Amino acid sequence: MTVKQAQPRKNVSSKDNPSEPFDAMPLRYGDDPYVWACWLYYEDGMTQGDIAEAMGISRATVNSYLAEARERGIVNISIEPARLASLTVAQELKRHFGLVDCLVVPSDDKARSLIERLGGAGAQALQRLLKSGDTIAVAWGRTVLSIGERALAPGLQDVTVVQATGGTRASFGYTPELCASSIADAVGGKLINISAPAIVSSNDIRDMFMREPLIESQFQTLARANKALFGISSLRPNSTIHTSGFFESVSLQDYLARNAVGVVAGRFIDGHGRAISGPLDERTIGISLEMLKNIELRIAVAGGFDKVPAILAMLRGGYANVLITDAATARGILNADGVPEIDQRGAHRGRVDSLPAASKTTQRIYTKKFLNNPDRVVDELLEGIVKSHVHLLHPIDKSHRALVARNGPRSGKVGLVIGGGAGHEPGFYGYVGKGLADAVAIGNIFSSPPPGPILRCTEAASGGEGVLFVYGNYAGDVMNFEMAAEMAEAKGIPVRTVLTTDDIASSPLEDREGRRGVAGNLFIFKVAGAACDLGFSLAKCETLTRKANDRTYTVGVALEPCSMPQTRRHNFDIGPDDIEFGMGIHGEPGVVREKMMTADAITDRVMDRIFSEMKPAAGDQVAVLVNSFGATPLMELYILFRRVEQRLNAKGVTIVANWVGHYCTSLDMVGASISILHLDDELTVLLNHPCDSVTLKMS
Amino acid sequence: MTDNAARVIGRMFSDISIAIDAHKDHLTALDGAIGDADHGITMSLGFNAVTNELAGMDLDHVAASAVLASAAAAFLNAVGASTGPLYASAFLQAAKVLEKSETLSLENHVEMIVAMTAGIQERGKGQRGDKTMLDAWIPATEAAIKAQNDGADVRVLWNEVIHAAEAGANATRSMVAARGRAARLGERSLGHVDPGAASAVIILRAMKNRLDFS
Repeated sequence: MTVKQAQPRKNVSSKDNPSEPFDAMPLRYGDDPYVWACWLYYEDGMTQGDIAEAMGISRATVNSYLAEARERGIVNISIEPARLASLTVAQELKRHFGLVDCLVVPSDDKARSLIERLGGAGAQALQRLLKSGDTIAVAWGRTVLSIGERALAPGLQDVTVVQATGGTRASFGYTPELCASSIADAVGGKLINISAPAIVSSNDIRDMFMREPLIESQFQTLARANKALFGISSLRPNSTIHTSGFFESVSLQDYLARNAVGVVAGRFIDGHGRAISGPLDERTIGISLEMLKNIELRIAVAGGFDKVPAILAMLRGGYANVLITDAATARGILNADGVPEIDQRGAHRGRVDSLPAASKTTQRIYTKKFLNNPDRVVDELLEGIVKSHVHLLHPIDKSHRALVARNGPRSGKVGLVIGGGAGHEPGFYGYVGKGLADAVAIGNIFSSPPPGPILRCTEAASGGEGVLFVYGNYAGDVMNFEMAAEMAEAKGIPVRTVLTTDDIASSPLEDREGRRGVAGNLFIFKVAGAACDLGFSLAKCETLTRKANDRTYTVGVALEPCSMPQTRRHNFDIGPDDIEFGMGIHGEPGVVREKMMTADAITDRVMDRIFSEMKPAAGDQVAVLVNSFGATPLMELYILFRRVEQRLNAKGVTIVANWVGHYCTSLDMVGASISILHLDDELTVLLNHPCDSVTLKMS
Repeated sequence: MTDNAARVIGRMFSDISIAIDAHKDHLTALDGAIGDADHGITMSLGFNAVTNELAGMDLDHVAASAVLASAAAAFLNAVGASTGPLYASAFLQAAKVLEKSETLSLENHVEMIVAMTAGIQERGKGQRGDKTMLDAWIPATEAAIKAQNDGADVRVLWNEVIHAAEAGANATRSMVAARGRAARLGERSLGHVDPGAASAVIILRAMKNRLDFS
């Protein structure tokens, strides 16, 4: 064995006798290979591969030495305390108030004033958060102006900056007009002012202003804002609210008497973030608190100990989802809300976190995905769906977790509600439309939706004749849909349920009810939707749907696992030559693992299994679905279909309809499933009934 | 300053959320072995939603039972899945205990554990030995009742509860799943600790640390 000096490195001399691996270790390190490995890694900056060569051990061993050295405390990684503290406190604020982001500037900088430092941090945040095409509402304040003076966001296109409130005749240096225009200059955006005073002398005058076409159009821009930037003012005697002259002092007293603690975009809130009504409300021209809360990204910038109650109230009210503040204020907010011992917690969390990671000796492999914020994947997906298919479906509420067909529910018809977790696209929104489901409830990835959106779907789908639920047989879905069914019944909507159980590999025939529902859902939704559209009774719709389920047979095969957007890691291991039969649509491991085989051999295994239950006779008719789990391309699906057709043909069975493509996926899993619907005359009529949805269109 | 019961419950949820976050990767890895690898993510999401919901509440002016009821709703709405209804039922049942007397007496500790287990069992229709979270919750409940009958003090009682829950969770290693997605795996679920039982221990431990000092 030789020691190669591949990389130049400082202060480590190589030994002349390379036959003993640990000879390479200078005496001063003692005989501890952990210390030696750590020295080379952290002090000399060598790669793990080079250390492995230098020490004559495997790369994996080096990796485990380094991990164990951290665990045993041989190596301690320290971060400068002030910086760590502000990072920890930011994490804690983010977690406690459910913020999208939080930036805390350290409190140790004496060279610049707080307003300057917050301005700098705000400018940085704005550069990161503002994107081409955004419309940002900007409120007024010293901190906001300070951001405008420091921000520079070149390269953005089509940004609109809209003043969040009317203007003022007061003569302070950070009026609403100045704040908005400084941000617009900084980001190269188009500026929309509100050409009216922020506060007018009476309710009537405000209404007159609001009816002016110019102001109306300015407010339309404001209502389109997807981002907002604002400061928070306290109501303490020396605060800008008093000194600016923006509000009349008479009115201020009135709000103080009602326990106002702060002002957000010209509106008063109490200690729990509730809006306080007062004499100015009807005379104010500007963004309302409700409008503000509807904006997607709401950046609040404020600091200073006197503002702690106001910022806390603002956070409790949910007016901001991005907070920029300083460390002392941040700690004050958490203390005021009864979150103690931040530092200990931070330390504790770090220690626990390192344990599972340290024991890993293999390198983690992350899959690449098109992502922004992994936690918002489902929301962004649904936003895309709603915009893309605006003519077919629309969201029942702001959350987009419940979608209803535009041309679906009608009185005198049984409503059809489907649903399930995200990750199966186009399952299940793709099956919502005329002649199919009336509404769909969507959960988190691979997780059932909660009862709330299911109930909203039920109410939207109800046409007075009852509602049919059709969904896959999974413990979570059953619990949530059952809860929703109970709530719907309590509101006078009769509900019947058909659980889909088409995955014949998931349980033996004796436990048919225990099987899960997979891609064969397509056939079952199709039949159920047709039955409902034909105006059949709830009981008949249920019976027909059950028949479709009983006559649908699916078997899936996975070649590679899928990875969740949050982890971007494969959710189970599968050997390089292995495939899984009986794979479902959630990345659960399959039921039998086999060695890789040809496409025809796989298809034959699947078809044999299906035939053993379906028992087709010559002259029978079927519908066929060859479905990709996500990453398998059409090319391979057609290779599978080709063999499916050969096998059916050999039995004298006719394919009257077929679908080949992505119909019920499992994120990016490589694999496919084959589903067969064993038709009879009744089912054939229902299968051919016209429908119009994103995924299925028949006329 | 001593905290009122509502604040203690609020902090208890904050503690649970932190503990779950700390074990998120571990829970997700356990779930990857026998489920769909999202248990850590789901639990973290749920308890973060609870913390965020409680941050907007005026804990000085609400009853402890109302805190538990709000936690149930927030958890359910954020999570769905199977853990959503199960823990929502658990917290709602615990809320009913505190509705009768809004104190965190030792009797109520025991009654809350009993009620939470009953809530999970009723909603999920599960049994001991199904390789689910109930394999931690049921032994924990039995230990709580036994310790109470033996006249144990709060410290001893919670220690017994945690021991029983841990033993129960470890025992899932040798069980074949009968419920949930792992059930489809049959005997391939052998040798793996059930992630739901593992997270139950984390929750109970966080409850202990908050409640046995109150």
